[in-house]
Amino acid sequence: MAADYACLTIDPTNPDGPRIEVVFPAAYTTRLFKYAPVDFENLRSAKYVLENTQRIFFGVRAFNEGGWCFSGRPREWFLKERIVVPFPHDKVFVVYINPRMQVYECRAEFIAEDDPLAPIDWQTRFRGLTWKSIF
Amino acid sequence: MEEHFLAGMIEGEPTFRPEPWYNPVGDCLVYKMANEASVADRVDDLLTIYRSAEDNRPIGFQIKGIAAMIRKLGLAGLAVASQADDASVTDVSIAALLLAAYEEGAATMDRRSGYAAAMEFDVPREKRRISRDELQPA
Repeated sequence: MAADYACLTIDPTNPDGPRIEVVFPAAYTTRLFKYAPVDFENLRSAKYVLENTQRIFFGVRAFNEGGWCFSGRPREWFLKERIVVPFPHDKVFVVYINPRMQVYECRAEFIAEDDPLAPIDWQTRFRGLTWKSIF
Repeated sequence: MEEHFLAGMIEGEPTFRPEPWYNPVGDCLVYKMANEASVADRVDDLLTIYRSAEDNRPIGFQIKGIAAMIRKLGLAGLAVASQADDASVTDVSIAALLLAAYEEGAATMDRRSGYAAAMEFDVPREKRRISRDELQPA
């Protein structure tokens, strides 16, 4: 039986405070491991983004209150099984986290026109920007 | 590339399975027909098309807010066969979920083409319905 995996990241409710644990639920990671090998490999990018976050957005779902979107850019990712390539400059990798601080979706998205480290249409999709890296 | 952070934590033999599945943590239905990196192309609040990161072709879709759709329409409203009440429903139609999601938004060309693309995916016949038992949010 697989276990949840905890990863330290910026607290979206207190970005200047200590880092908090965000969980990769076993229900999610096990499914990817068994049946979506490339997506499982790209969980590495999700962990990288949580550890090297560039933007945090809040209010991510039409029917669910709360939740955050963490975005960033890994150096490389798996294009196919055993094929690792540089992460494309016109994409950003995003990690969605629910109010229980569980990761539920990790994926690449097209970048916003006004910010290459934010996903496209962030102004209308999310309720707002919570935090932005100064580096 | 260094070892995966989950290496050794999950047992089994990975085998790509191109079939729809319900993600209970995200309350969404996911279908990917290719085992390759994808880029999410968001159609609206409920539908996202996955495109190949290599050549931009559509390779799957995601429908969000499944629990809310079931609350709104009832399981009987998302089944294919005529069933009198929610208790008798055993499977939910993925096509019905797509149609229900489409009805939530404005009738625009972009939405229509996005939902048409999702409907045209060649989901295996035996996987076009999903068991109600699987549709339990975390």
